[in-house]
Amino acid sequence: MSALGEVRIRVPGSIARGSVARARALVIHPNERVERKDGKWVDRKYRFVNRVVVSYAGRDIAEFDTSTSIGENPSFGFAFRATEPGPLKVTFFDTHGGRFEGAAEVKLA
Amino acid sequence: MGEPVLTRREALKAIAVAGIASAVAAPGADAQGFLATLAPEEPVDRTMQRLFGSRPILDGASVINLELPLIAEDGGNVAVSVEVKSPMTPQSYVKAIYILSDKNPRPLNAKFNLTPACGQAHIATSLRLADTGDVRAVAEMQDGALLMVKRSVRVVVAGCAA
Repeated sequence: MSALGEVRIRVPGSIARGSVARARALVIHPNERVERKDGKWVDRKYRFVNRVVVSYAGRDIAEFDTSTSIGENPSFGFAFRATEPGPLKVTFFDTHGGRFEGAAEVKLA
Repeated sequence: MGEPVLTRREALKAIAVAGIASAVAAPGADAQGFLATLAPEEPVDRTMQRLFGSRPILDGASVINLELPLIAEDGGNVAVSVEVKSPMTPQSYVKAIYILSDKNPRPLNAKFNLTPACGQAHIATSLRLADTGDVRAVAEMQDGALLMVKRSVRVVVAGCAA
Protein backbone atom coordinates (compact mmCIF):
# COMPACT_ATOMS: atom_id res chain seq x y z
CA MET A 1 0.00 0.00 0.00
CA SER A 2 1.24 3.40 -0.90
CA ALA A 3 0.18 6.54 0.86
CA LEU A 4 -1.89 9.22 -0.82
CA GLY A 5 0.38 11.95 -2.06
CA GLU A 6 3.47 9.85 -2.56
CA VAL A 7 5.26 11.13 -5.67
CA ARG A 8 7.59 9.06 -7.84
CA ILE A 9 9.74 10.53 -10.58
CA ARG A 10 11.73 8.58 -13.13
CA VAL A 11 14.59 10.16 -15.07
CA PRO A 12 17.30 8.47 -17.13
CA GLY A 13 20.33 7.65 -14.98
CA SER A 14 22.77 9.56 -17.12
CA ILE A 15 22.00 12.21 -19.70
CA ALA A 16 24.32 13.90 -22.19
CA ARG A 17 24.58 17.63 -21.58
CA GLY A 18 22.29 19.58 -23.90
CA SER A 19 20.31 16.54 -25.02
CA VAL A 20 16.58 16.14 -24.58
CA ALA A 21 15.53 13.60 -21.96
CA ARG A 22 12.16 12.18 -21.03
CA ALA A 23 10.88 11.81 -17.52
CA ARG A 24 7.76 10.42 -15.93
CA ALA A 25 6.10 11.51 -12.69
CA LEU A 26 3.36 9.73 -10.77
CA VAL A 27 1.37 10.59 -7.67
CA ILE A 28 -0.57 8.10 -5.56
CA HIS A 29 -4.00 9.72 -5.61
CA PRO A 30 -7.61 8.57 -6.14
CA ASN A 31 -8.24 11.36 -8.69
CA GLU A 32 -11.97 10.94 -8.05
CA ARG A 33 -14.32 10.77 -10.98
CA VAL A 34 -17.63 12.62 -11.03
CA GLU A 35 -20.44 10.34 -9.91
CA ARG A 36 -23.93 9.99 -11.20
CA LYS A 37 -26.84 8.82 -9.10
CA ASP A 38 -30.30 8.16 -10.58
CA GLY A 39 -29.16 9.86 -13.77
CA LYS A 40 -28.11 13.05 -11.98
CA TRP A 41 -24.63 14.32 -11.22
CA VAL A 42 -23.79 14.22 -7.55
CA ASP A 43 -22.55 17.64 -6.45
CA ARG A 44 -19.86 17.37 -3.83
CA LYS A 45 -16.28 18.46 -3.38
CA TYR A 46 -14.53 15.91 -5.57
CA ARG A 47 -10.91 15.30 -4.85
CA PHE A 48 -8.79 15.30 -7.98
CA VAL A 49 -5.49 16.68 -9.22
CA ASN A 50 -6.19 19.88 -11.15
CA ARG A 51 -2.72 21.33 -11.61
CA VAL A 52 0.77 19.96 -12.07
CA VAL A 53 3.90 22.11 -12.20
CA VAL A 54 7.24 20.85 -13.51
CA SER A 55 10.40 22.72 -12.63
CA TYR A 56 13.97 22.00 -13.60
CA ALA A 57 17.02 23.59 -11.98
CA GLY A 58 14.78 26.13 -10.27
CA ARG A 59 12.78 27.23 -13.30
CA ASP A 60 9.22 26.22 -14.19
CA ILE A 61 9.31 24.53 -17.58
CA ALA A 62 5.78 23.12 -17.91
CA GLU A 63 2.39 23.29 -16.25
CA PHE A 64 -0.55 20.95 -16.78
CA ASP A 65 -4.24 21.70 -16.18
CA THR A 66 -5.81 18.36 -15.44
CA SER A 67 -9.27 16.97 -14.68
CA THR A 68 -11.32 14.05 -13.41
CA SER A 69 -10.80 12.31 -16.75
CA ILE A 70 -7.22 11.44 -15.94
CA GLY A 71 -6.94 7.96 -14.45
CA GLU A 72 -6.38 7.01 -10.83
CA ASN A 73 -2.78 7.57 -9.63
CA PRO A 74 -2.17 10.21 -12.31
CA SER A 75 1.08 9.87 -14.17
CA PHE A 76 2.57 12.29 -16.65
CA GLY A 77 5.40 11.93 -19.11
CA PHE A 78 7.23 14.94 -20.49
CA ALA A 79 10.54 16.04 -21.95
CA PHE A 80 13.17 18.52 -20.82
CA ARG A 81 16.40 19.83 -22.27
CA ALA A 82 19.20 18.79 -19.91
CA THR A 83 21.33 21.90 -19.87
CA GLU A 84 22.71 21.62 -16.33
CA PRO A 85 22.72 19.30 -13.34
CA GLY A 86 19.99 20.05 -10.86
CA PRO A 87 16.71 18.88 -9.44
CA LEU A 88 13.74 18.01 -11.63
CA LYS A 89 10.78 18.80 -9.43
CA VAL A 90 7.13 17.94 -10.01
CA THR A 91 4.37 19.36 -7.81
CA PHE A 92 0.80 18.08 -7.92
CA PHE A 93 -2.05 20.23 -6.57
CA ASP A 94 -5.50 18.83 -5.82
CA THR A 95 -8.94 20.33 -5.23
CA HIS A 96 -8.77 19.67 -1.48
CA GLY A 97 -5.75 21.92 -1.04
CA GLY A 98 -3.30 19.03 -1.28
CA ARG A 99 0.20 19.80 -2.51
CA PHE A 100 2.42 16.83 -3.30
CA GLU A 101 5.97 17.32 -4.40
CA GLY A 102 8.70 15.02 -5.62
CA ALA A 103 12.15 15.60 -7.02
CA ALA A 104 14.81 13.67 -8.90
CA GLU A 105 18.40 14.74 -9.40
CA VAL A 106 19.44 15.19 -13.04
CA LYS A 107 22.99 13.91 -13.54
CA LEU A 108 24.81 14.81 -16.71
CA ALA A 109 27.29 12.49 -18.40
CA MET B 1 -21.03 18.66 33.57
CA GLY B 2 -22.09 22.27 33.91
CA GLU B 3 -20.55 23.26 30.58
CA PRO B 4 -23.00 23.48 27.69
CA VAL B 5 -22.29 20.64 25.29
CA LEU B 6 -22.42 21.43 21.59
CA THR B 7 -25.08 19.27 20.02
CA ARG B 8 -24.45 17.65 16.67
CA ARG B 9 -27.02 19.93 15.08
CA GLU B 10 -25.39 23.08 16.45
CA ALA B 11 -22.00 21.85 15.40
CA LEU B 12 -23.18 21.20 11.86
CA LYS B 13 -24.81 24.63 11.73
CA ALA B 14 -21.57 26.26 12.89
CA ILE B 15 -19.61 24.38 10.24
CA ALA B 16 -22.14 25.37 7.56
CA VAL B 17 -21.91 29.04 8.55
CA ALA B 18 -18.11 28.89 8.58
CA GLY B 19 -18.24 27.22 5.19
CA ILE B 20 -20.38 29.99 3.74
CA ALA B 21 -18.16 32.65 5.29
CA SER B 22 -14.99 31.18 3.84
CA ALA B 23 -16.70 30.66 0.48
CA VAL B 24 -17.52 34.37 0.42
CA ALA B 25 -13.98 35.29 1.45
CA ALA B 26 -12.24 33.09 -1.12
CA PRO B 27 -14.67 31.89 -3.75
CA GLY B 28 -12.00 30.29 -5.92
CA ALA B 29 -9.93 28.09 -3.69
CA ASP B 30 -12.68 26.78 -1.46
CA ALA B 31 -15.19 25.93 -4.13
CA GLN B 32 -12.67 23.77 -5.99
CA GLY B 33 -13.90 20.29 -6.73
CA PHE B 34 -17.62 21.09 -6.83
CA LEU B 35 -19.53 20.63 -10.08
CA ALA B 36 -19.75 24.38 -10.66
CA THR B 37 -15.98 24.64 -10.88
CA LEU B 38 -15.57 21.69 -13.27
CA ALA B 39 -15.75 22.08 -17.00
CA PRO B 40 -19.40 22.04 -18.09
CA GLU B 41 -21.02 18.87 -19.33
CA GLU B 42 -21.30 19.47 -23.06
CA PRO B 43 -20.77 17.98 -26.51
CA VAL B 44 -17.20 18.09 -27.80
CA ASP B 45 -18.09 20.65 -30.48
CA ARG B 46 -19.10 23.12 -27.80
CA THR B 47 -15.86 22.52 -25.91
CA MET B 48 -13.88 23.14 -29.09
CA GLN B 49 -15.87 26.34 -29.65
CA ARG B 50 -15.28 27.45 -26.07
CA LEU B 51 -11.54 26.80 -26.26
CA PHE B 52 -10.73 27.93 -29.76
CA GLY B 53 -13.67 30.07 -30.93
CA SER B 54 -13.70 30.37 -34.69
CA ARG B 55 -9.93 30.10 -35.11
CA PRO B 56 -9.01 27.81 -38.00
CA ILE B 57 -7.76 24.38 -36.99
CA LEU B 58 -5.41 22.72 -39.47
CA ASP B 59 -4.89 19.04 -40.06
CA GLY B 60 -1.90 18.07 -37.93
CA ALA B 61 -1.37 14.55 -39.30
CA SER B 62 2.10 15.37 -40.63
CA VAL B 63 3.42 16.88 -37.38
CA ILE B 64 1.47 15.30 -34.51
CA ASN B 65 2.00 11.72 -33.46
CA LEU B 66 -0.91 10.63 -31.24
CA GLU B 67 -0.45 7.20 -29.74
CA LEU B 68 -3.40 5.35 -28.27
CA PRO B 69 -4.44 1.71 -28.16
CA LEU B 70 -6.95 0.64 -30.83
CA ILE B 71 -8.89 -1.26 -28.20
CA ALA B 72 -8.93 -0.17 -24.56
CA GLU B 73 -9.86 -3.08 -22.30
CA ASP B 74 -10.24 -0.73 -19.34
CA GLY B 75 -11.62 2.72 -20.10
CA GLY B 76 -10.49 3.86 -16.67
CA ASN B 77 -6.85 3.74 -17.65
CA VAL B 78 -5.98 4.34 -21.30
CA ALA B 79 -2.38 5.25 -22.05
CA VAL B 80 -1.98 8.19 -24.41
CA SER B 81 1.10 9.94 -25.68
CA VAL B 82 1.50 12.89 -27.99
CA GLU B 83 4.55 14.15 -29.77
CA VAL B 84 4.52 17.23 -31.94
CA LYS B 85 7.40 17.89 -34.31
CA SER B 86 8.73 21.28 -33.31
CA PRO B 87 12.19 22.81 -32.86
CA MET B 88 11.05 24.10 -29.41
CA THR B 89 13.07 27.30 -29.75
CA PRO B 90 11.79 30.65 -28.43
CA GLN B 91 10.97 31.55 -32.06
CA SER B 92 9.00 28.39 -32.77
CA TYR B 93 7.54 26.10 -30.15
CA VAL B 94 4.41 24.31 -29.07
CA LYS B 95 2.73 26.42 -26.40
CA ALA B 96 0.07 23.90 -25.40
CA ILE B 97 -1.23 20.42 -26.12
CA TYR B 98 -4.91 19.74 -25.44
CA ILE B 99 -6.35 16.25 -25.14
CA LEU B 100 -10.09 15.87 -25.68
CA SER B 101 -12.29 12.80 -25.65
CA ASP B 102 -15.38 13.16 -27.82
CA LYS B 103 -17.57 10.82 -25.78
CA ASN B 104 -16.69 12.07 -22.30
CA PRO B 105 -19.37 14.25 -20.65
CA ARG B 106 -16.65 16.85 -20.03
CA PRO B 107 -14.55 16.41 -23.14
CA LEU B 108 -11.40 18.34 -22.19
CA ASN B 109 -9.19 15.83 -20.39
CA ALA B 110 -6.13 17.98 -19.92
CA LYS B 111 -4.20 20.96 -21.20
CA PHE B 112 -0.42 20.75 -21.15
CA ASN B 113 1.34 24.11 -21.17
CA LEU B 114 4.90 23.79 -22.47
CA THR B 115 7.93 26.05 -22.91
CA PRO B 116 11.04 25.91 -25.11
CA ALA B 117 12.93 24.48 -22.09
CA CYS B 118 11.04 21.23 -22.65
CA GLY B 119 13.21 20.61 -25.70
CA GLN B 120 10.57 18.38 -27.20
CA ALA B 121 6.80 18.72 -27.44
CA HIS B 122 6.08 15.37 -25.87
CA ILE B 123 3.53 14.47 -23.21
CA ALA B 124 2.06 11.22 -21.93
CA THR B 125 -0.60 10.29 -19.39
CA SER B 126 -3.49 7.89 -18.85
CA LEU B 127 -7.09 8.81 -19.59
CA ARG B 128 -10.55 7.81 -18.47
CA LEU B 129 -12.72 7.21 -21.51
CA ALA B 130 -16.48 7.01 -21.09
CA ASP B 131 -17.20 5.27 -24.39
CA THR B 132 -15.91 4.19 -27.78
CA GLY B 133 -15.11 7.25 -29.84
CA ASP B 134 -12.49 9.70 -31.01
CA VAL B 135 -9.72 11.12 -28.88
CA ARG B 136 -8.23 14.35 -30.20
CA ALA B 137 -4.94 16.08 -29.65
CA VAL B 138 -4.77 19.78 -30.46
CA ALA B 139 -1.41 21.55 -30.59
CA GLU B 140 -1.32 25.31 -30.12
CA MET B 141 1.83 26.92 -31.51
CA GLN B 142 3.52 29.98 -30.00
CA ASP B 143 1.91 32.17 -32.70
CA GLY B 144 -1.56 30.82 -31.92
CA ALA B 145 -1.82 28.45 -34.91
CA LEU B 146 -3.82 25.30 -34.15
CA LEU B 147 -3.24 21.77 -35.43
CA MET B 148 -5.32 18.70 -34.66
CA VAL B 149 -5.34 14.93 -35.08
CA LYS B 150 -7.95 12.35 -34.01
CA ARG B 151 -7.81 8.65 -33.32
CA SER B 152 -10.69 6.31 -32.59
CA VAL B 153 -10.47 4.10 -29.53
CA ARG B 154 -12.77 1.15 -28.87
CA VAL B 155 -13.58 1.06 -25.17
CA VAL B 156 -14.55 -2.36 -23.80
CA VAL B 157 -15.31 -1.42 -20.17
CA ALA B 158 -16.25 2.24 -19.74
CA GLY B 159 -14.12 4.46 -17.53
CA CYS B 160 -17.40 5.85 -16.19
CA ALA B 161 -18.50 9.44 -16.10
CA ALA B 162 -15.10 11.04 -16.20
